[in-house]
Amino acid sequence: MIPVSGKIIEISHLSKYYGRSRGIDDISMNVEEGDFFGFIGPNGAGKSTTIRILLNLIFPSSGNASIFGLDVVKDSKLIRRRLGYVPSEASLYDKMKVHEFLKFGADFYGGKQTEDRIRELAGLLDLDLERNIPELSTGNKKKVNIIQSLIHRPDLLILDEPTTGLDPLIQSRLFGLLSDENRRGTTIFFSSHILSEVQSLCRKVAIVRDGRIIRSDEISALRDKQLKKVRILFTGENIRDFPAVPGMETVQRESQKSLTFMFSGDINELVHSLSSFSIENLSIEEPPLEEIFLRYYK
Amino acid sequence: MTVNRILFNMELRRNARTLVLWSFIISALIFFTMSLFHSVLEYHQQIIGMAKIVPMAAMKARGFGSINDIFSGLGFYAANNIVYMMLLGSIYAMVLCSTILLKEEYGRTAEFLMSRPISRDEIFMSKLTLAFLNIIFLNLVAGLISLLSLETFKSGDFMIRPFLVFTMYTLLLNLFFGALGFLVAVLIKRARPVTFFCVGLILVFYFLFTISRISGVKGNFGYLSPFKWVNVDVLNPVYGPELWRIAIFLVMIVLLSAGSGFIYRKKDILT
Repeated sequence: MIPVSGKIIEISHLSKYYGRSRGIDDISMNVEEGDFFGFIGPNGAGKSTTIRILLNLIFPSSGNASIFGLDVVKDSKLIRRRLGYVPSEASLYDKMKVHEFLKFGADFYGGKQTEDRIRELAGLLDLDLERNIPELSTGNKKKVNIIQSLIHRPDLLILDEPTTGLDPLIQSRLFGLLSDENRRGTTIFFSSHILSEVQSLCRKVAIVRDGRIIRSDEISALRDKQLKKVRILFTGENIRDFPAVPGMETVQRESQKSLTFMFSGDINELVHSLSSFSIENLSIEEPPLEEIFLRYYK
Repeated sequence: MTVNRILFNMELRRNARTLVLWSFIISALIFFTMSLFHSVLEYHQQIIGMAKIVPMAAMKARGFGSINDIFSGLGFYAANNIVYMMLLGSIYAMVLCSTILLKEEYGRTAEFLMSRPISRDEIFMSKLTLAFLNIIFLNLVAGLISLLSLETFKSGDFMIRPFLVFTMYTLLLNLFFGALGFLVAVLIKRARPVTFFCVGLILVFYFLFTISRISGVKGNFGYLSPFKWVNVDVLNPVYGPELWRIAIFLVMIVLLSAGSGFIYRKKDILT
């Protein structure tokens, strides 16, 4: 049963080292029941390592993690009964037909009405069940892994780069399907390096970089930060005299007269500094979410 | 530790073709070789003449303890079976057992399998049980074909008891290499096939065994090779099951299997 606390995934000071090389370093975070949780970061940041620990494919060097209140190492079999997983790369047995593979995967759960569910999901994602697995394209292989993760109607769905190889139409259907599952009560842990996916689907997000969580918050809260995008168009070419105000980041000189930067400092200080310059135009706006993410990536 | 029926059945289907192929090839080799036995008897004198110029070491390397082995149906069979069932059977066993576990990792299917409600112990036990049953099946088929061949091509009566004991030793040797295959699979640090390594390791053991047979009394180092734990001297009047040989095989099979299972329980799955 889902614990009273409502936390589906709890990760506490989780680290994984391969010899001296870092996988993840001291990661802590929680995913609440019903969340559509984005886990985002550049390639090699540690996303897949974290997921592989949650699935007990690998063991943590230190720290611990639990799913449904159960320890991911000791109770992995119990956890997996209520979990669906889409790996980043196709994980399929060759020498099988698609339907045979899906039936094989579903048999572990022993549920009824499996056949109807397989056909429903295959229809939705436009997948031919009679094809041989080795003949499938990358996108179709991904569809098979997506379907096998959903057949048993899991309480938690972990997706690692699920859209790789899918065309835009199927991506859109997948997003609809995931939203429906989430509304039905499935908690979704969505790992991706594609910002727009996370932005459009997820309510909460954790940003991982160099094996560490550098920010974990609601997407709306990321916007609420004081971060502004500032663009100044000077009248003269005195741009070089403009002082560095505390809070200026990613400063870009677009021309001899134009300066653009992200600003998270005291706006009064910025205005005060600007007062001694002759300016032609000034814009201060909310940065797009992508720029907020990229700021964390750098 | 229990066997998962779904995984067991899948592995059964997955490995059936290879098992049938190996069983057929080894059985055919045994039958074909035994069909030559009458020719060996026909050329009795010429063979004895040849044996005088062929060093005894070469005869021993080929599996014949003495010239008499060639002219006895059981001796002829045992010498050839050292290559067929002891060597080839062990290669089949070790490659099968290492591959059945490792394939999930280099084939990247471990991520699928280990997201199912199945424990590592169940995965290991299902694969171990299936692999060992395949080895037993191969030995059973080869044993039956051997018996049929001996009955068909014999020149006189042969003792069934030494045949059965030798067959038992061969099975134990194959199971030993199977268990060793599991150990290799759990110790390997990269997800890739280990077929060449397994074949190479068996050939090293076989070479050691052969050298030790040639060396005679000085060849006690041969006991480092599991091939030496099999008593191949089937024509010896006191040939029979020896407790220490059976015990060493059983202990090693259990230790290697249990050790592999223990390591598999704790290892990071490679992909």
